[in-house]
Amino acid sequence: MNENLFASFITPTLMGLPIIILIIAFPNILFPSPNRLINNRLVSFQQWLIQLVLKQMMTMHNLKGRTWSLMLISLIMFIGSTNLLGLLPHSFTPTTQLSMNLGMAIPLWAGAVITGFRHKTKASLAHFLPQGTPIPLIPMLVIIETISLFIQPMALAVRLTANITAGHLLMHLIGGATLVLTSISTPTAMITFIILVLLTVLEFAVALIQAYVFTLLVSLYLHDNT
Amino acid sequence: MLSRVVLSAAATAAPCLRNAAFLGPGVLQATRIFHTGQPRLAPLPPLPEYGGKVRLGLIPEEFFQFLYPKTGVTGPYMLGTGLILYFLSKEIYVITPETFSTISIVGLLVYVIKKYGASIGEFIDNLNEQKIAQLEEVKQASIKQIQDAIELEKAQQALVQKRHYLFDVQRNNIAMALEVTYRERLHKVYKEVKNRLDYHISVQNMMHRKEQEHMINWVEKHVVQSISAQQEKETIAKCIADLQLLAKKAQAQPVM
Repeated sequence: MNENLFASFITPTLMGLPIIILIIAFPNILFPSPNRLINNRLVSFQQWLIQLVLKQMMTMHNLKGRTWSLMLISLIMFIGSTNLLGLLPHSFTPTTQLSMNLGMAIPLWAGAVITGFRHKTKASLAHFLPQGTPIPLIPMLVIIETISLFIQPMALAVRLTANITAGHLLMHLIGGATLVLTSISTPTAMITFIILVLLTVLEFAVALIQAYVFTLLVSLYLHDNT
Repeated sequence: MLSRVVLSAAATAAPCLRNAAFLGPGVLQATRIFHTGQPRLAPLPPLPEYGGKVRLGLIPEEFFQFLYPKTGVTGPYMLGTGLILYFLSKEIYVITPETFSTISIVGLLVYVIKKYGASIGEFIDNLNEQKIAQLEEVKQASIKQIQDAIELEKAQQALVQKRHYLFDVQRNNIAMALEVTYRERLHKVYKEVKNRLDYHISVQNMMHRKEQEHMINWVEKHVVQSISAQQEKETIAKCIADLQLLAKKAQAQPVM
């Protein structure tokens, strides 16, 4: 039971070959590139969706911030699709690995912060001190703001990892409970199964929401720094 | 992937299939149904509009057709059921907690797709149709604009044909104006001449009258001068005698 619970999170291998790269690259083939004026339904739907997300997300940025549009849209599509594909049975979700999420969060956050420091040094440094603080508190507050700044990439990565991993684990555990309860008392098993269904709905939502939140926060850091 | 190996082998064996190998993994069904002419790369060949027919969302129709001669209609279903029971009973497929999450996820997906699939498909078709309609509108507007320009040109050409009416009217106006001026001036000349002639006539009349009056006055003066005093008395006495005679006659009349 213990081994099985975390079995879905180990690095996937196929007959001794690590196929983790293939799994990360897999969602790419679900997004065909439009090569005509009028495409098939899948491509048209994705075009419409991406346009919707783009408008929603990038209107608040100025010209400099909008150069990050491609990065942010790719980010949200990748995280959303990997999370959703991870809900399929016996599949591996790359975003459950902290290593990958750190690899996404740290460069993006660092890029935003360094851009801010390079181009608007004074404004970026001014973020360390909120307006209207009483003078005796200033040293404390600067230290706190620095810590809060450096925790941002950690928070981004850990938030995504924890949410997705917790969701998968919970589904596994409740599934296990249902399995054991079917032989003990069927009505309880039915109730547990209903809980599982509700949790699945939640997981679908969480998959999409986490992608959105990640991208939104990166775009927020960007907005502060351009 | 295996189909690609087959296709590349077929391409070396039969060069006419070489272009077909580029069309991707679904090409085996596509070559059978859709490609009747020469395959070509530019312009892009049209994509098949609908996918191949499937039953239960997973198994192509061709599999059922393949088994039909030997096992009839229920053959593939019996095969499927048997396989599933075999896997379950021999624990080749183990029922784990993941099974239940599988059931819930797949059940949810099937429910959502069955319920909202058609409407989402229509929505997407609408998106495409809107795109086409926009471009069509632009095209129609452009055609209409050109047609309007042609109509305008034709109308103006027709108007040019009728321009001579305008000139005729103007010519007539000018002729009338000339005529009017000519008559006015003629009338003026006539009046002036008549004026001069009237003056001469009135001068003549006046002279005539003056001469007459002068003559009458002269005659009267001389007659009055020629009457002497003697003559005047005799005349007056004669008049009185005549009057007395007349008075008698007059008195006699009413008595009778």
